[in-house]
Amino acid sequence: MKSQTARCLILACGNKLRSDDGVGLWLAHWAEERFAAESGVRVLSSQQWTPELAQDISQAESVVFIDCAVDATAGSVRVMAVEPGGETAGLATHHLDASQLLSLSKELYGAIPRTSLLLTVGAGSVELREGFSEVVHLALPEARAELERAVARVLPDFTG
Amino acid sequence: MSQTITIDPVTRLEGHGKITIHLNDQGEVESANFHVTQVRGFEKFSEGRPFYEMPSLMARICGICPVSHLIASAKACEAIMSVRIPHTAAQLRRMLNLAQMVQSHALSFFYLSSPDLLLGLDSDPQSRHIFGVVGAKPELGRAGIALRRFGQHIIELLGNKRIHPGWVVPGGVTEPLAASKRDEILGMIPEAYANIELALKWYKQIAETFAPEIEVFANFASLYLGLINEDESIEFTDGALRLIDARGKTVADGITANQFPELIGEAVEPYSYTKFAYYKPLGYPEGSYRVGPLARLNIAKSMGTPMADGELSLFKQISDNRPVQSSFYYHYARLIDILYGIEKIEMILSDPLILDKHVRATAGVNRLEGAGQAEAPRGTLHHHYKVDENGLITWANLVIATGQNNNAMNKGVLQAAKHYVKDGKFTEGILNRVEAVVRTFDPCLSCSTHAFGQMPLAISLVSAEGEVVDRVIR
Repeated sequence: MKSQTARCLILACGNKLRSDDGVGLWLAHWAEERFAAESGVRVLSSQQWTPELAQDISQAESVVFIDCAVDATAGSVRVMAVEPGGETAGLATHHLDASQLLSLSKELYGAIPRTSLLLTVGAGSVELREGFSEVVHLALPEARAELERAVARVLPDFTG
Repeated sequence: MSQTITIDPVTRLEGHGKITIHLNDQGEVESANFHVTQVRGFEKFSEGRPFYEMPSLMARICGICPVSHLIASAKACEAIMSVRIPHTAAQLRRMLNLAQMVQSHALSFFYLSSPDLLLGLDSDPQSRHIFGVVGAKPELGRAGIALRRFGQHIIELLGNKRIHPGWVVPGGVTEPLAASKRDEILGMIPEAYANIELALKWYKQIAETFAPEIEVFANFASLYLGLINEDESIEFTDGALRLIDARGKTVADGITANQFPELIGEAVEPYSYTKFAYYKPLGYPEGSYRVGPLARLNIAKSMGTPMADGELSLFKQISDNRPVQSSFYYHYARLIDILYGIEKIEMILSDPLILDKHVRATAGVNRLEGAGQAEAPRGTLHHHYKVDENGLITWANLVIATGQNNNAMNKGVLQAAKHYVKDGKFTEGILNRVEAVVRTFDPCLSCSTHAFGQMPLAISLVSAEGEVVDRVIR
């Protein structure tokens, strides 16, 4: 199977049944509509990041990973650069983090995106339920704005 | 002083399980058990639901093989409806089931077991994962990942979702295949062939180095159960079941989904939530049998596709045309299954009716009971439902592959533990071998749930007095 190349790959993960863990999927859904007119933007979302995504990443010019963060202040929105690396000891089969995916992309396909960013939203709750906690619900406008800024950062011709 | 060794959880499996090995006063292995420590309850909470919801509900049992549950469930529903699905729908379902088999086998072989096969059973456990494979042999890692993508993408093209597609429904499928999707799948086939050929070639190079493990990895006589066609070729979606003995002689043949409950019983052991299936005429545990890739190849006389037929002939030479007994060969059988799957998908796509628009039959409740069966990647899967006159489920029973392999897995764990654990001493490599026996079966304990956080592996050596005398954590 040939991967589709993208100027900006938005790669989200999460579980909508685990409250704030689903914020990545929510933002990905929003991004599909928001960037529908941008031919270079491709959005992929899944419950977990798995090794099969490495090929898509290797062929993207830039990537914006989106996930919730259980170790950050609830509702805080952060965007940071991410590099290949990450702890591989005791690696899980079903789930990799952003830096592990970049490592896999580099080792398997010899390429990584020029720019790789990770957008996280601090989780207030990951209980078994649908819908976000109030603090994450209130953070959604900021998360959308940060995602727009991240896309503009990797796509200089993006005018909004 | 008697002792117990516990491996909890067993790693690189689908779901959560543990192994306990009990030693006697002389430090010899007395017994060993593979415990499935989770309970699901799908049969119970489906009661009261309309029967036509069952395929989608049952698919949620598993995130790796939801298609098998979709298909077995839909067939049970069609027995209730008393309908025969259109030819094109049957072909499309067959292709979906094969795509799932390819991706699931790729996960088992390349992600879960190839770290042992490539890096060695005594290698650093921190490296025994897909990154370790990629570092040591990148082309093998690429092939495995690509084969998984191949299967997943076909599922996504057909069912519009990689996991839990709602495309399979009672009566057929919800929409026909578009020509563009057919062409896209055909375009992926050459790369898939190249990847499985690479894997088969590599496996044959390394298999002999595992001769000691082949001897003791669940290597014993047993019965084997699997689907075949009337021409005795392998089948995954239709056909009927055949049960053979350890010499290859047919014990029971042409077992339909309706006949399955008359012939197959389920025993219960106090140490596991998974039941133990057995062939009723022989009783339990004598009637225990194995299912899955090894069983299928032991039963089938041909694959019905040229390249896989060549491999089947080599496979049968391992045991002079008698059933291959060591579960280590599940690995090889899995690769042959994949090759067959790719060839068969290509053949199905050349069916002149494959783009036909008539893909669904409709009917209401015409019978109050129905059963369906199919081959999941790990082996035979059976769904059996009863409904009231309004079509609401009043009773359901599922017999899954892992339950049908349960007795063999336990016997295999005991065989390996007796061989490797001496004088009450064990190393990480020895315990990994015991786990690797279970991995050959690729049991699917509960892949529809996923862990939150990192699962530790703790191995404890506990005295009869309950004192922990040794402990390994990884």
